[in-house]
Amino acid sequence: MGMLHPRDALHPATLAPRPAAGRRQVLGGLAAALAGLPLAAPALAQAQPLRIGMITSLSGPFTALGESMRAGMQLLLAQSGNRLAGRPVEFLVEDDQARPEEGARRARKLIGQDRVDLLCGVISSGVALALRDVVTEARTPTFLLGSANDLARKAASPYIVRPTKTNWMLGSTAARWAREKLGGARVLTVASDYAAGREYVGDFVETYRQLGGRPGRTLWTPLGSADFGPLLTTIAAERPEAVYGFFAGSDAVRFLRQWQEYRLAGRVPLIGPGAFFDQEDVLPAVGDAALGAFSTFHQSPTAPASAAFNRAYMATGKPLPGEFSTTGYVCGQVIRALLERTGGTLADWEAARAALFGAPVETAFGTMPFDPRNGQAILDIHVNAVRRGEDGRMVNTVVHTYPQLRDPGPDA
Amino acid sequence: MRRALLSRAAPMAAALLALALPAALAGPFHLRFLAEILLLGTAVMSLDLLVGSGGLVSLGHAALFGTAAYAAAVAALHLGGNLLLVLGAGTGAALLLAALMGVAIMRSSHLFLLILTLLLGQIAWEVAFHWRAVTGGADGLRGLPPLSLGPWRLDGPRALFLLAGGLALAAHALARSFVAAPIGRALVGAREQPLRMSALGYSTARIRLRAMLAAGGIAGAAGSLYPFLNLYVGPQSVHWSLSATMIIMLVIGGVGSLWGAFLGSAVYLALQTYVSAYTDRWQLFVGVIFVLIVLLLPHGLAGAAARWRRG
Repeated sequence: MGMLHPRDALHPATLAPRPAAGRRQVLGGLAAALAGLPLAAPALAQAQPLRIGMITSLSGPFTALGESMRAGMQLLLAQSGNRLAGRPVEFLVEDDQARPEEGARRARKLIGQDRVDLLCGVISSGVALALRDVVTEARTPTFLLGSANDLARKAASPYIVRPTKTNWMLGSTAARWAREKLGGARVLTVASDYAAGREYVGDFVETYRQLGGRPGRTLWTPLGSADFGPLLTTIAAERPEAVYGFFAGSDAVRFLRQWQEYRLAGRVPLIGPGAFFDQEDVLPAVGDAALGAFSTFHQSPTAPASAAFNRAYMATGKPLPGEFSTTGYVCGQVIRALLERTGGTLADWEAARAALFGAPVETAFGTMPFDPRNGQAILDIHVNAVRRGEDGRMVNTVVHTYPQLRDPGPDA
Repeated sequence: MRRALLSRAAPMAAALLALALPAALAGPFHLRFLAEILLLGTAVMSLDLLVGSGGLVSLGHAALFGTAAYAAAVAALHLGGNLLLVLGAGTGAALLLAALMGVAIMRSSHLFLLILTLLLGQIAWEVAFHWRAVTGGADGLRGLPPLSLGPWRLDGPRALFLLAGGLALAAHALARSFVAAPIGRALVGAREQPLRMSALGYSTARIRLRAMLAAGGIAGAAGSLYPFLNLYVGPQSVHWSLSATMIIMLVIGGVGSLWGAFLGSAVYLALQTYVSAYTDRWQLFVGVIFVLIVLLLPHGLAGAAARWRRG
């Protein structure tokens, strides 16, 4: 069929059924058996390159975010001299186009053909959910960076580690902040009508109501709206005491510009998840339209844990880092910590997982322990205020921190 | 007589061999990849019935394929992954939608047909995207049970591949007999000489409706197996951009040849999967190949192969 990779076609192991981790164990076991020296196997594992596959969006609506994620990971690998725990690293990147089917196909290619030792990446929650069964069935350790709540709940898997936030962490902390600072004022909610927007707004409204706040009307707009005029007119007519909103990427840029043009900026307090005011992808494009807005986020360029990463990232000619460059870098840090704790081998995933969850990892998001029930990171959630920095640029500045937030996970 | 038998048996034997070889030799990734090529190829082939014979270029074919995928997935989630149930639910849903679409388009052609099918497809997409309780919205549906037939589980890559291969063979036989049957000839007639056809007493509207039903049924059968490749179905499988991709596959493979649809989907998916590992700009390659084929091989790869065989 012309589709067979020559390496696979020639390799005898292709013909026999075999567990997912595959070739290295077969060869290692063979070498050990031939030499009659069980000690030879770990030595061989040390010399074998470690293949890391990344699935991210390099075309489609999340292109910029995907490129940032890849840059963050590449920075960490470059800093480590392309070796993790003594093993040389081969880093393979595949584009999921933000489409679930495409992501699943890429994951199968990386697992089945490229024989990666572990997978990481993903921006779109849809892709992350589609990958869940693929990697669990193949038993491939996967560091999944989408943020749908279900990834830490119904869709949790023993093969998935989640070194990033869940949407609930941001929505519920924003409600707590609004309750404390605005005293239960009437908060209107508005968001892009897709999975992430629904979860942010849903969690915000639920928590806010539980705390005794008064949620106002909820408005939805389609993803990729060009004109927010009618929406902003409705918001102004509602006269809310504050607005909780979520838009991402180019939607966020357009919304914030028009928010200013309709003279709502500075008059109505604006709150949102951090991606609404992302340091790298949104703030540089909207002037001072977001000045004074608050967001809850696990990432902030002014968080102390991020300082070293900021310097290294900006030294590569990039701006102050936003969510996805930091996320890519943190993912690399967690993978590095895992390999260092296991001496560079992933042969026994059970044990490797236990070693990772046994003690927190120091990352650019801060000290990161894991919840052993679902592999979900427990994170510090910062309240960021958009303020004018020394050089006049807008900077997400930490004004408060909710320490060590744990997703309810299977309890939710 | 014997020659006729031979000329009919030879392609059949070749097709069976083409299925048996990879089933014995290919690894799990390639088997699943080939299964995807076969399923999408079957859907593209059903589109070829409309485009190749009827000149009806539809941008709503993914709606038929994806609706079947959703119906099959929902049926499997609630009633288990019995193969016949899944195929029945998916094909039935696609036939229903095809009937609706057929009624809507039976009096239009060319640009209006294109726009009507696009709109109907977008409506199907909107439903899939917003009816969260049933379709899972943007997240899609996951956690599907594996396919089964009686006591056998059909969830391994080899079983899926053979299933897709069997479906492709059956669908191809069906499509061939449709084209050869009076209705297939009448469809070509309605494309070439609509006035003369109606003067002869044919109802072009009814012919189009039947063609739509045949195409919808075949696309639906392929669509109902599609979610089980990845145990996932999402709104992308209903989106019009998949319809456009199908048209590109069809043109690459060769309009009007039926089996070219499989070539086209193989070339497109292989490009997308392999070239994109080396460059982010893989769509440029697809575009260039598409343009080259339109300019140099107007009958697609299948047409080129047929010409080469004739010498």
